[in-house]
Amino acid sequence: MNSAREGFRPLTLLIFLAASLITFAICVAAGSVRIPPADIITIIWRSVRRMPAPADSAAYSILLSVRLPRVICVALTGAALSISGAAMQGLLRNPLADGSTLGVSSGASLGAVTAIAFGITIPGAPFAGTAVCAMASAFVSLTLILSLAYRLDFSLSTNTIILIGVIYSMFVSSIITFITILAADKVRQIAFWTMGSLSGSTYANARVLAVTLFVCGGVIMTRARELNAFAIGEDNARHIGVNVGRVKLIILITVSALIGVCVSIGGTIGFVGLVTPHMIRMITGPNHNRLLPACAFGGAVFLMLADLAARTVLNPLELPIGVVTSFTGAILFVYIFFKSRRNGHA
Amino acid sequence: MRRKFITLLIGLILIAGCAKAGDSNAPASAEASAQTSGPVTVTDMKGRTITLSEPAERIVALTAADCEILYAIGAGDRLVGRGEYCDYPLEVLEVTSVESGAETNLEQIIALTPQILLLGTMAQSTEQLEPLESAGIQSVVSDAQDIEGVYTAIQLIGDLMGRQGESEDLISKMKSDFAAVSANAEANKGKTVYFEVSPLEYGLWTAGSGTFMNEIAEMLGLTNCFADVSGWAEISEEQVLDRNPDYIVTVGMYFGEGPKPDDEILGRPGWENLNAVRNGAVLNLSNNELSRPSYRLAEGAKLLNDFVMEHRAPE
Repeated sequence: MNSAREGFRPLTLLIFLAASLITFAICVAAGSVRIPPADIITIIWRSVRRMPAPADSAAYSILLSVRLPRVICVALTGAALSISGAAMQGLLRNPLADGSTLGVSSGASLGAVTAIAFGITIPGAPFAGTAVCAMASAFVSLTLILSLAYRLDFSLSTNTIILIGVIYSMFVSSIITFITILAADKVRQIAFWTMGSLSGSTYANARVLAVTLFVCGGVIMTRARELNAFAIGEDNARHIGVNVGRVKLIILITVSALIGVCVSIGGTIGFVGLVTPHMIRMITGPNHNRLLPACAFGGAVFLMLADLAARTVLNPLELPIGVVTSFTGAILFVYIFFKSRRNGHA
Repeated sequence: MRRKFITLLIGLILIAGCAKAGDSNAPASAEASAQTSGPVTVTDMKGRTITLSEPAERIVALTAADCEILYAIGAGDRLVGRGEYCDYPLEVLEVTSVESGAETNLEQIIALTPQILLLGTMAQSTEQLEPLESAGIQSVVSDAQDIEGVYTAIQLIGDLMGRQGESEDLISKMKSDFAAVSANAEANKGKTVYFEVSPLEYGLWTAGSGTFMNEIAEMLGLTNCFADVSGWAEISEEQVLDRNPDYIVTVGMYFGEGPKPDDEILGRPGWENLNAVRNGAVLNLSNNELSRPSYRLAEGAKLLNDFVMEHRAPE
């Protein structure tokens, strides 16, 4: 690692890219309904060449209208959540930082539920009101949590931040329940929304996710060097010339936007943003120049596999993806925790 | 948070009165005297015996279906409290609302001084209801899991309220309605129907075997696409496309934003080749006609039958 350049080495990039593409291919090929590989290739070939769809083919619709957009959305969501997790962990020097532990995801849910309950909409764009409210509320939540944490404990120790995050999540969930009771006529809609899933993802969703990921993920990656400086302490970062306040604001805004969009499209999905950066860090090391792009790929792979399990394990039934990510994520997290502890003391 | 909402959702579905698979009804025979006054003895749907010195004058009903039945047999004026999700007929909304299901609040019920509390079984144990007994309120369980169970519930409520004649009429009306729709069963053989309980955006939920929807589909001679699934379940969108239903029934409600539930289904990408979508055979039943153990199941069956007749392919 000493001799390596700071950036993402081409070979590593290639390996991550290949792993993601292979996972992508597997996830498109496998699903609730079995489609023979030969048919899959024919269907994709026909659609690439813009040949008209055969009139009577269920496989055609299943693959191109259901499975493909869903796998794309899942991959983008995984990448977005994982980058936000890595950025938060770097910025706060806190291995437990993540949208769900910090209460940002709950904050985003609050925004979305408020939008549904009080009928906040943006004329001409149905359901956009939910997304914008989710983003704004994620940002407000994050600012609130962090400013509270700074007041209590300037060093932002793990315990303080997680404690505040957990308390904030509970606080928000009580408000959500309260809103649900006030808006009794919308109960069903709110209940269904909070169970929100990535099933029914469309190419339009994928576009929104892709643009957000491209812009916000890109911005975060340009701050990789500053995040590295944060790793040795906020004061040190300031001393070596990092504009601490500005970087922090930029990261907060981009992370809120990423999480807000993810929550409004797929609901809250736990553990992706928390676990993936740790796994990736074991491969790439802590340098954000490598960690952040690798996290994008790693998060995509993790969530695609989780979604594959959600789609196929109880066929024809479908599991909520959060069940799979929390189940595997929690086990992985304990494993990583033990392993790093043991290494630390060895 | 999420688990809480799943509980809430399932609660809602149960309150809406959906049947679970595999449950058999407790034998419930109503052995009330034929006259409309004097002592009443009934056996509720949990097999408990309830005795009243005369038909109930004040009653609280927690489930929507029981409220519907009370109004249908002309005893709605004796309803002094209702569960918060009861919404049919419209008059019921003027009755004092109490919390129901897991949140059932005994204080609220005792304050209304009814003689009878009519409830479903899902949320309370008998021990939890003991304070009612000491307040002189008898609890009666009405818990229909299938259409036969709905007849039992109607008879039970009729006996409690001294309205045997009306409940008999209601049951025979249902029976004749069901007989009328099942007359077409032979012609519908081999046709499939898919029931959509929640829209794609929130994950597809359907009603499988052991639900009222499934029972009514069978009555009409239709095959439920997801009869292999039991009860209410989240299913894969791919499976819907693969099973290619001839008819789609959605119970989604319209919230005033975006397209209506049936139009939304007709416009879904990838669904355009389904038989149902190609023939425009998508029906929206948004008033709980097919999900509550109430006499309105017959109405729902009739609506479904009319819809199937209307879209039957010309032969």
